[in-house]
Amino acid sequence: MSLNGLADCRTYEGTKIPSFVPYADNGGSVIAIAGDDFALLASDTRLSSGFSIYTREQRKLFRLSDTTVLGCSGCWCDTLTLARILEARMQMYLHEHQKPMSTPAVAQMLSTMLYYKRFFPYYVSNVLAGLDEEGKGCVYCYDPVGHCQKVAFNAKGSAGALLQPLLDNQIGYENMDNVTSEPIHIEKAMALLKDAFISAAERDIYTGDSIFINIITKDGIQEEKFTLRRD
Amino acid sequence: MFLTRSEYDRGVNTFSPEGRLFQVEYAIEAIKLGSTAIGICTSEGVVLAVEKRITSSLMEPTTVEKIVEIDKHIGCAVSGLMADSRTMIDRARIECQNHWFIYNEKMSVESAAQAVSNLAIQFGDSDDDGGAMSRPFGVAILFAGCDEKGPQLFHMDPSGTFVQFEAKAIGSGSEGAQQSLQEVYHKSMTLKEALNAVLTILKQVMEEKLSSTNVEVMTMTPKQLFHMFSKDEVEEVIKDIA
Amino acid sequence: MSIMSYNGGAIVAMKGKNCVAIAADKRFGIQAQTLALDFQKIFEMGPHLFIGLPGLATDTQTVHQRLKFRLNLYELKENRHINPKTFAAMVSNLLYERRFGPYFIEPIIAGLDPKTFEPYVCNMDLIGCPNEPEDFVVGGTCTEQLYGMCETLWEPDLEPDDLFETISQALISAVDRDAISGWGAVVHIIEKDKITTKSLKTRMD
Repeated sequence: MSLNGLADCRTYEGTKIPSFVPYADNGGSVIAIAGDDFALLASDTRLSSGFSIYTREQRKLFRLSDTTVLGCSGCWCDTLTLARILEARMQMYLHEHQKPMSTPAVAQMLSTMLYYKRFFPYYVSNVLAGLDEEGKGCVYCYDPVGHCQKVAFNAKGSAGALLQPLLDNQIGYENMDNVTSEPIHIEKAMALLKDAFISAAERDIYTGDSIFINIITKDGIQEEKFTLRRD
Repeated sequence: MFLTRSEYDRGVNTFSPEGRLFQVEYAIEAIKLGSTAIGICTSEGVVLAVEKRITSSLMEPTTVEKIVEIDKHIGCAVSGLMADSRTMIDRARIECQNHWFIYNEKMSVESAAQAVSNLAIQFGDSDDDGGAMSRPFGVAILFAGCDEKGPQLFHMDPSGTFVQFEAKAIGSGSEGAQQSLQEVYHKSMTLKEALNAVLTILKQVMEEKLSSTNVEVMTMTPKQLFHMFSKDEVEEVIKDIA
Repeated sequence: MSIMSYNGGAIVAMKGKNCVAIAADKRFGIQAQTLALDFQKIFEMGPHLFIGLPGLATDTQTVHQRLKFRLNLYELKENRHINPKTFAAMVSNLLYERRFGPYFIEPIIAGLDPKTFEPYVCNMDLIGCPNEPEDFVVGGTCTEQLYGMCETLWEPDLEPDDLFETISQALISAVDRDAISGWGAVVHIIEKDKITTKSLKTRMD
């Protein structure tokens, strides 16, 4: 079944009823990793629909504040709307309460915003990364209807299933004896992030071209670009 | 004096030629008939105390509630029309819970005061469907709370104006009490000192004899947050100041 | 829900240096309900030859028996062990006979050439279209997870011990993110003069 517009027609007792599908899947993958005093958020830059590529340079990360970044994948139009409403709500909060929103506050607000559209959801997988009030790295991941979970690392989007077990293995040290799980170092996290995306680009056609990595520390947010295969 | 204000003192949304809203000013006057409430903010926490007017010996004193909890970290004392105050307290509580629901954090004391202020100035919105009152609230409120900025005390009058105070008295005895607060308050006051001061001043301005049945006392500290004094605790403080 | 994910299960095979490995989980269930923790999905078909049959459990067993039947006939006629490539052709042929009413399995074959001991891995779709890559093959209900793991962990010319570690980590991490795979695992390492079979403990939830 096509996800686009009026493409489909259902036949029902001889009459044709044009069906309207309001969602598109534009692919894309996001990974977030929380460290002790930093958070990393990365997404690929391919925007696609079915077998065609709309653009090879679409950022899917939204810098919401000096300490908070949102990564999205799914229906791109929903992503844009959601991010803009979020920005507006954060601005309103700033004026109402005379302080910038903390990452946990944004996390909770995003959850309620998603749930308020419970029966016509934003078709977006969200990952929110940033620093909390104590300067510790934190990552929150969501389902499209507002389930929110604070995690140490997460992968979302079209290659989420490929990437998540790798993070479990390399950061979570799941199923490993004689390993003391120590807080992840920023260099290791960066290297892992790149390796993970290289692998995802091998097998997932909706992930590729390049990635942008946002490095969130108390000194601000740095951005790094890294090239992936473009086929 | 009141005769000179004729005509312009009827509508709540009509300025007099001198630029005054008489209904609001009358509402502020109404507070001066209310029971006295005093608050002091120290670095250790905030103290609130109010007098309860027990007009009949057949009255059940515990049902007169003038200090209430808004949230775990915000309490308030009211003076004026008690019925009006319930509406405002309700709004403050709703706003605090709503803030927690949306942001998963405590609402700041100032924001809570702002939220109640928004309700207080709605009296002019005559075409508003239902929600707004047709007159100003006849209530003054002292908000005592602890948030990331530490202990704070806010005062709000019927016009919806709210100002932060180090020490503030409202109600019938407020003039004398405010004078006394001016004298006793200093920045390095401890909570215990503030507690004693609040009750000493309240004792001075009250018409009836101060006892554990006709006052309510509350402290708001960063650690214990909202703490309403039990009858025994109040008696202890009264003994101290005797 | 697809018939291919009615019972659940995951199988992966990898090439190493002069060796191959094949591993599978042990779960047998009906949709979300787990019924057994010792279900065999990998079968030994010769001295250096294994086949994994992920998919519908009843077809796993039927196809295994029908393959065993044909393999016995082959060995009697030819009086020699089958070459993995030949065996793959045989599996493909068997599956294509049911082109319009297929067995719901996607076989994975791993073995060494009986003469040259060249490593060989192969997988197929349910109607027998073969795929013979140079690195690894995956199958079952968590192929995405397995692809993600194998793609990063696998490297060329792994020694048997390293190959065992790689395939085990890949399988366990993958099945832990799939609700209908796991509950124990088995790994076979096939070398020229040794076959090592190891059981893996995994989380049981």
